[in-house]
Amino acid sequence: MDFELILLFLQQGIASGLVVGSVYALLALAIVIIFKTSEVPNFAQGEMLMAAGYVALYLLVFRMVPAWAAIPMTVVVAFAAAALFRRVVLTQVARASGSPVNLVIATLGLSYVLKGLVRQTGFGDTPRSFPSLVSTESVMIGQASVTKLDLTILGTAVVVMAAFFWMFGYTKLGRAMRAVGMNPKAAQLVGVDLNRIHVIVWGLSGAISAVAALLIAPKLLMTADMGSVVTLGFAAAIIGGFASLPGAIVGGFIIGIVENLVGLFVSSRAIVVAPFLAIMLVLILRPQGLFGGRVMIKKV
Amino acid sequence: MRILGLLAALAALIALPFFTTGYIIYVANLLLTFTVLCLGMHIVIGEAGQFSLAQAAFYGIGIYTSGLAGNAFGWPFPLSILAAGLVAGLVGLGIGMIALRMRDIYLALATFAFGEAMQWVFLNWTSVTGGPNGLRIAPAGLFGFEIVTDKQAYPVVLALTVLMIGLTVVISRSRLGRAFRAVRESEIAALAMGVPVRTTKLAAFALSAFFAGVAGAMFAIFSTFIHPDSLGFQTTILVLTMAVVGGLGSIAGAVGGAVVFGLISELLRQAPSYQEIIYGLILIVFMMFAPRGLFAFAGENLRRLTRA
Repeated sequence: MDFELILLFLQQGIASGLVVGSVYALLALAIVIIFKTSEVPNFAQGEMLMAAGYVALYLLVFRMVPAWAAIPMTVVVAFAAAALFRRVVLTQVARASGSPVNLVIATLGLSYVLKGLVRQTGFGDTPRSFPSLVSTESVMIGQASVTKLDLTILGTAVVVMAAFFWMFGYTKLGRAMRAVGMNPKAAQLVGVDLNRIHVIVWGLSGAISAVAALLIAPKLLMTADMGSVVTLGFAAAIIGGFASLPGAIVGGFIIGIVENLVGLFVSSRAIVVAPFLAIMLVLILRPQGLFGGRVMIKKV
Repeated sequence: MRILGLLAALAALIALPFFTTGYIIYVANLLLTFTVLCLGMHIVIGEAGQFSLAQAAFYGIGIYTSGLAGNAFGWPFPLSILAAGLVAGLVGLGIGMIALRMRDIYLALATFAFGEAMQWVFLNWTSVTGGPNGLRIAPAGLFGFEIVTDKQAYPVVLALTVLMIGLTVVISRSRLGRAFRAVRESEIAALAMGVPVRTTKLAAFALSAFFAGVAGAMFAIFSTFIHPDSLGFQTTILVLTMAVVGGLGSIAGAVGGAVVFGLISELLRQAPSYQEIIYGLILIVFMMFAPRGLFAFAGENLRRLTRA
């Protein structure tokens, strides 16, 4: 492989990597906000994305709803469904035993129910392609070729992240969320309604997944198994230290770029094992993640 | 009473092949295999409170190890069973050592990703596993005697299951078993009592992988064919559902759950499209209303009813 080709592959890999990476970053963000506030890794995150994708597909293709209405509707449905799951199911699970293991099992259950439901509706039986709302005309950046769709994906993801960080950093709600993440008991003592925060966090996480679904769906074939993309989101979250929001974002971009470089330089068949290798490498070399400080030991 | 009941159950299991036909015995073999898989899940989640989501991958490692030991080297089956358990256990040990260094939850995430990666390996390492064509497993043999039918395999599978149940009971009552439960209840309290927390978690995880490997070897004894499709996350969820239905944290629950839910899932084969919804709903509903499993739930309500 000569130098010019390597340079071309590098540019292309980084450009395409930033695009898909922005979607992984959103997914990782959705995973980390739930984990930070409740110590539960949500194994249904991928299926929440998948289900939201199908809601959008149903509205856009089968109901002919115009995009300007279908997109917000999808996000609202995802917010409501996720918040409802937290409010109805997880509240009861926590009351029944309180062990985090049980909450995790309930999210695994949710992932299976969503997958099964989508298959039952009949939309999930054959792979479908999601209509592209932006033209797929290609644009050259350096030597890398990306489409207008790609640029829209990256742009939207960055705007959503910025909005989220503003909310998290500068609003009363965001402060309450951070407080719950640091110390739930103390937060409750100063008047934060824990249940309300948990429900809102789940809703937000669902909404972010819906945005990620809308962004990634045109680039994938839609199947009931497309939620497996979440493995990359988990890998991104681990790279970032699993409790750091900026870490999740950076992790998402790293995973996206690495995935594309592996695809170009090694083999596109090796991509499936990449998340596992990435997780293992991070755990061996820098177990606290790139952005995780020391893990604090809880007091009894 | 309890001992009498156990003896009666064992007698019934031993008598089973004399009264039934091939398919029933095949299902019985499968249920016993799932019982051992479920015991592995019980040790890591039920006893030690750690999360492993790669039970299917270790099961697969067990199947391929014992299958290949028989196919390529003609090892007698007791040796290939041991090899299957040890290989799976050692791989588990390696992953656990890396994943358990930080947060507990990394074990769940690392094993989740490991499961996906292993299924990919099973599918793509064609020269060893046969890849998407699957692998034909030669009949297990010992001193020239070959196990060809399900009925011939049944006594071996049953004996192994009893052995593994016994091993689980011994572990559970040993110092190690107490350490598992101490870690599950409170790591800090366990540490203060002098329990080496990390080693204990690692032991639980490696043991569960060992159990899954042995279960794989059991499968290789009565089955003649394995395809990577049956070694995916679906199987891990199936085993988890069994453990949850029976009740996390009790050996009787793990065994009962494997048998009861194993039968249900065998019946559900007729309606594969509902399988996922049913598994998922069972996980959710049990976690909401019966986190200690079917038997504890039924027992509590019976007591309440009789008292009223």
